[in-house]
Amino acid sequence: MTSPNVISIDIGSTFTKGAVFALDAPHPSVLRRAACPTTTDDLRRGFSQVLAALCGLPTETPWQEIRPVAPVRFCSSAKGGLGIVAIGLVPDLTLQLARLAAMSAGGKIVKSFAYALTASDVAELERVRPDIVLFCGGTDGGNTAYVMQNAARLAASRFEGPIIYAGNRVAADRVADILRPRPVAVVPNLMPEINVVNLEPVREKIREIFLKVIVAGKGLSEIVQRFQTEARPTPLGVYELMEAIPRIRPDWDDVCAIDLGGATTDFYSNTESFLETDSVVLKGIREPRLKRTVEGDLGLRVSAPALLDSAADYLAAALKRVGLSEAALREYVARLMRDPGHVPDGPHEKTLDALMAEACVYLAARRHAGSFRETYTPQGRVYLQTGKDLRRVRRVIGSGGYLSTCEDSGLMARAFRQLKVAGPEIVLAPEHPVFYADAAGLFPLLGNLVAVSPEAAVTLALDSLKPLELQESPC
Amino acid sequence: MENPTQKPTIILGVIGADCHSVGNKILEMFFTNEGFKVVNLGVMVSQSEFIDAAIETDAGAILVSSLYGHAEIDCQGFRERCVEKGLDSILLYLGGNLAVGKTPFDVVEKKFKAMGFDRVFPPDVDLKEVAVLLRKDLAERSQLQPAPCP
Repeated sequence: MTSPNVISIDIGSTFTKGAVFALDAPHPSVLRRAACPTTTDDLRRGFSQVLAALCGLPTETPWQEIRPVAPVRFCSSAKGGLGIVAIGLVPDLTLQLARLAAMSAGGKIVKSFAYALTASDVAELERVRPDIVLFCGGTDGGNTAYVMQNAARLAASRFEGPIIYAGNRVAADRVADILRPRPVAVVPNLMPEINVVNLEPVREKIREIFLKVIVAGKGLSEIVQRFQTEARPTPLGVYELMEAIPRIRPDWDDVCAIDLGGATTDFYSNTESFLETDSVVLKGIREPRLKRTVEGDLGLRVSAPALLDSAADYLAAALKRVGLSEAALREYVARLMRDPGHVPDGPHEKTLDALMAEACVYLAARRHAGSFRETYTPQGRVYLQTGKDLRRVRRVIGSGGYLSTCEDSGLMARAFRQLKVAGPEIVLAPEHPVFYADAAGLFPLLGNLVAVSPEAAVTLALDSLKPLELQESPC
Repeated sequence: MENPTQKPTIILGVIGADCHSVGNKILEMFFTNEGFKVVNLGVMVSQSEFIDAAIETDAGAILVSSLYGHAEIDCQGFRERCVEKGLDSILLYLGGNLAVGKTPFDVVEKKFKAMGFDRVFPPDVDLKEVAVLLRKDLAERSQLQPAPCP
């Protein structure tokens, strides 16, 4: 039996936050909270300040001397997240699955490659220096030529980090031989047959590598040893929380969450991806019920310049709506680049932040959701579905520094409404969503609790959500 | 061809906007019983879906069905696309109601062979005969192929 209390700490890229939770059923509660800026040179200092505060000790207590009042669990998105390069064969098949597996394991795709790796692909891979290379291709018994050739290219590269091979089983031994002495882990194929999806072994291996290899830097491994705990990528915790919510509370099925941050926008959904009917035909892979996507070009601070390009059209229309110029937005983003810690000053800057947040929500949802294309056949009208159907999603949760402070649903509702006028394709966005804010900012911390007590984590999460009324003012 | 069971892999599907699914299921059962590893993509399959599946599974043949009379438009450029994607020597079979009206079958066959299909079958073909031809063609192709990568 575990202790009824747990300490949860989240080492974010900007802040290190923590809380002590009492897990007593049926009314778990938050006993104490603490936060301080993340000490990026040595993560232990920020960690110990928060832990000391949570244990009622002076914050300057050295970490070696802290006797925690409860078991400690922590997660980290330090270093800007877990960077993964995905290598697959066909873009719509194994490569697409590799991307989904990496993102649902808490990773961020920094680059992906299809078919045969070229010399310049390898140079690019060496340049982006991923934490992990996820390498696959071919169904079991299918194509071996590409993975063999790509294995040789990887073996000749300067990349020396961990490689996960999740491709054609028939080639696995030879691929591992070619890649040795590099650290290569062979797991079952993520697409053993066409239309059969097997992401779990890859996800498990990514988690394991994160624990063993990635946390070793910046003092995290000492924390792990000292407090007899394990570390996980922050988004993986949130992913597990999103898995647990409908499992523990079936009335909360068909749910989405958006975590909008400075560098990325993460979108989570837990709903059936495809409902078979006579008039809908699914094209491409059947996506998993629980899905996470991460958009590295959508964010309010570090990624703001990338957002200006990616969301140019959306932002232009939004600026027109509020009567501000594009020049004003560019100037504001330039200012954010000079001073990333800048807090919006005055109504103009607040409006610009709100417009950027709206654009992030819109594009993250647009890319996460699937679509319908209408075609007429001799048998009548048929819809071709690609990607995931989110129409039945009833609840959308906004999390992260910006969305958790929303006072009303205006911003998210506006972005979602725009999905319905997206052109020739019908975006399969939630039809009648109700919006919530993770107002207490507990989601990342509760992610750590799911493995200990999913009931307590889900109860605390749902109790802390603030339902957002529909208002048209910007938040 | 390289798969654990040593069964030849074939891709099956109904091309274009065609939703006829009964014959497709029968073909899947038949070729499976004949000892092929069948990857059935079902109905309303596009050219690129056939080709992508063939690449990932290292299939030796693509068997295309068309029942609704639009085969000519749907199959246009199929062989060229295979070549572009590196499937230079894959076998392409086509069968079904391939033209509307009373066009003699030899005219239909000639047209689709000119498009690059290796064999073309009318709707009433004996499937046993197709299986025999398929095994023979696959055996010939595999002798033409360069040895697989070491």
